[in-house]
This record gives sequence, structure tokens and C-alpha cells, in this order.
Amino acid sequence: MMHKHRLAHRRLWPWLAVALAGLFVAALVLRAPPATSALLPAPQERAP
Amino acid sequence: MSAGFVAVGWNRRKLVYDAVVLACMAAFIGGYIVVAATLKPPDGALGWIDLRLKAFGACAFVMLTLILCIGPLARLDRRFLPLLYNRRHLGVLMFSTAAAHAAFMVEWYVAQGALANLASELTTWGDYARFIGFPFKVLGIAALAILAVMAATSHDYWNAFLSAPVWKALHMSVYAAYGLVLMHVALGYMQSERHPLVPILFGGSFVLVAALHLASARREALRDMAVVQPGGDWLTVCPPGAIPDKGARIVMAEGGERIAVFRDGNMIGALSNACSHQNGPIGEGCIIDGLVTCPWHGWQYRLQDGRAPPPFTEKLATYRVRLRDGVIEVDPKALAPGTAAAITV
Repeated sequence: MMHKHRLAHRRLWPWLAVALAGLFVAALVLRAPPATSALLPAPQERAP
Repeated sequence: MSAGFVAVGWNRRKLVYDAVVLACMAAFIGGYIVVAATLKPPDGALGWIDLRLKAFGACAFVMLTLILCIGPLARLDRRFLPLLYNRRHLGVLMFSTAAAHAAFMVEWYVAQGALANLASELTTWGDYARFIGFPFKVLGIAALAILAVMAATSHDYWNAFLSAPVWKALHMSVYAAYGLVLMHVALGYMQSERHPLVPILFGGSFVLVAALHLASARREALRDMAVVQPGGDWLTVCPPGAIPDKGARIVMAEGGERIAVFRDGNMIGALSNACSHQNGPIGEGCIIDGLVTCPWHGWQYRLQDGRAPPPFTEKLATYRVRLRDGVIEVDPKALAPGTAAAITV
């Protein structure tokens, strides 16, 4: 049973990697224009 | 091998390993700060905090990437095994660096007397429904929590307490932490930093990790396919002379269990391929001083019965072997750990 579980994991990993790559590319493609994004928004820009 | 709790079993190799890692970390963080401050001088105290935050974050990411590459590298080329030997220390140092990165983030808010804004960022629930604009710091915090559990259990005491399979499963969550960190960067730093090198470096690191894992998995699968010849209830391995002396051939039973068939002179024995320490690939090790030795951390077992030599008590499952028509065969049904099953040919 454990080994079947291990094999299932082996099949799962590549799909997880593909999903992660997709999310990364989406985050890259959908980047907002530079003026409206910031790594650490200034406190006054956020609601208290 | 663990016979009881020992704080840390230091030896010269571990000290050298840790000294080299610390020196590399200092060089990376120092170099990052010097270069970044030269190219764009930080704006006041807040700017310096931001620079430290980025330097430690980048260092932690590089260390995490390296940690994930060590496993497949060691399987592809034995020359990388020394890196694997003390990988847990590298993991704890990486967690410490990531924790410092998080501490600088908090300091950034505290320096402005605006810690409430951090809480506000993390509890603006509407943002959780967005992709761009998702509270990326939560992803970093989640990754840090996983790494904290891993760092706290990075000791043979926990390995023995939890048992090797549970401990290994727990530490496989490093991949979840890596995914969270990658998205933390993608939805955070990469959104504001427009230099093309940023996605290239971070995306490239992901491609490197994935490619090395695929290459090592493919090599393992090809090797198994090349060796396994199902023949009735027993698995056909190869003639005794085809097993390297003091080495092993690995066969895979139906269901995925790997069996390491070792030869020590004219003695042939089959053991589970998973070391009882950290599930290391026993069959990729060799026989040293008459004992089967795991390539990862040097845990040893007798070929005759899979038992560690006294005073150690670890045992591996063994398998019946036989010589038939000049070919070694293995019964894929595992015997109880520590059962004598080796034969002389």
C-alpha cells in the first residue's frame, strides 16, 4: 500500500511543478504597470 | 546511528562544512549589500532596512534552491555526496536567514510606527480573492512556518522518535515551502522590480530544480527497467559476476519497492533499498569493512541479515535470494527486518 502511495506521489510531483510554473508565468505576465506596484507599500498607502 | 540522544555529534567534516557555508553566506549578503548600495544608495534608515531585508531574502532563496538541488545531484554524480552529508545544517542555517528576512520586514514597519499596517495588509480579506495583489507576505509566513518545523526536527532524535518514514514525509514539505517562496517572490518582489534579470534568475532557479529532479528520476527509472525481468514469482536479477564486488544492483519489485542485491565476494544478499536512517538509497552505497554502508550518512548493516552491528539496533528488511541457471533471483516478498537470508555462491 505504501509503495502504491509512493508511486502516486511520483505521478503527482510533475503536475504540481507544472502548476507552479503556470502560476509563476501568470504572475509575470499579469504584472501591473510599474507606477502602481510596490514591494513594500508605504504605510500611508494602506488602510490602517 | 542513534543509540540515544546526543545534542550534536560534531566532527571535523561537519565543522568545515558549516564554516564554508557561513563564509559563503557572509560573502553573499555582504556582496549584495555593497553592490546594491553602490548602484543605488539607500534612502535613509528605512532604505537600509529594505536593503538588508532583500539581501537576506535573496540569500535564503539561493540556499533553499541549493538544498533542493543537492539530492538529485548526489544521485546523478557521487562527487556531490559530501554536500548531502550535512544538508540538515544547511537547512537550519537557511531557516535562520529566512527568519532574519522576516524580522527585517517587521522592523521596516516598526521603524515607521506602523505595525498596525502590517496587520491590516494581512487581514484585508478581499485581497485574498485577487491574484495580482494577493497578500504575498502570507505566502512567505507560511513557508517560514514549514521551515521552522523542519529546522526544529532536524536532529536524529526526532528522526528516531518519529520513525524514518514519518520524518522523511515531514521533511518532504520543503517542496511545499519552496512553492510558497517562489510565489511569495513572484507576487511580491517581481511585481515591483522590473529588471528582466529578476524573472530570469528566479524562474531559472525553478527550472534548474525541476530539471535536476526529472533527470535523476529518469535515470533511476531507466536503471530499474534495464535490470528487472519478471520471471514467475521471483525477480531475475543477473549472473553473480555482473554484480560489482562490494557493490549492488537495484531491482524494482511490482508495486515500486526497490531491492538492493549486494555481492561481497561469493556472498549474495538482498536488502530493502531504503536506509532506516533517512530512507537513503542503500543500493547506491558499497560494502566497507564487511558492512553494507549507506552513501548518505554512512549507516551500516550486515549483508547476512540486514542488522546494524552492535551496539546499534537498526534492521532492514531482507529478501530471499537463489541461484538458478547461473542467474541470481530474488523473492520480492520482504522478510521480517533482520532475518538472515544471504547465500554463498
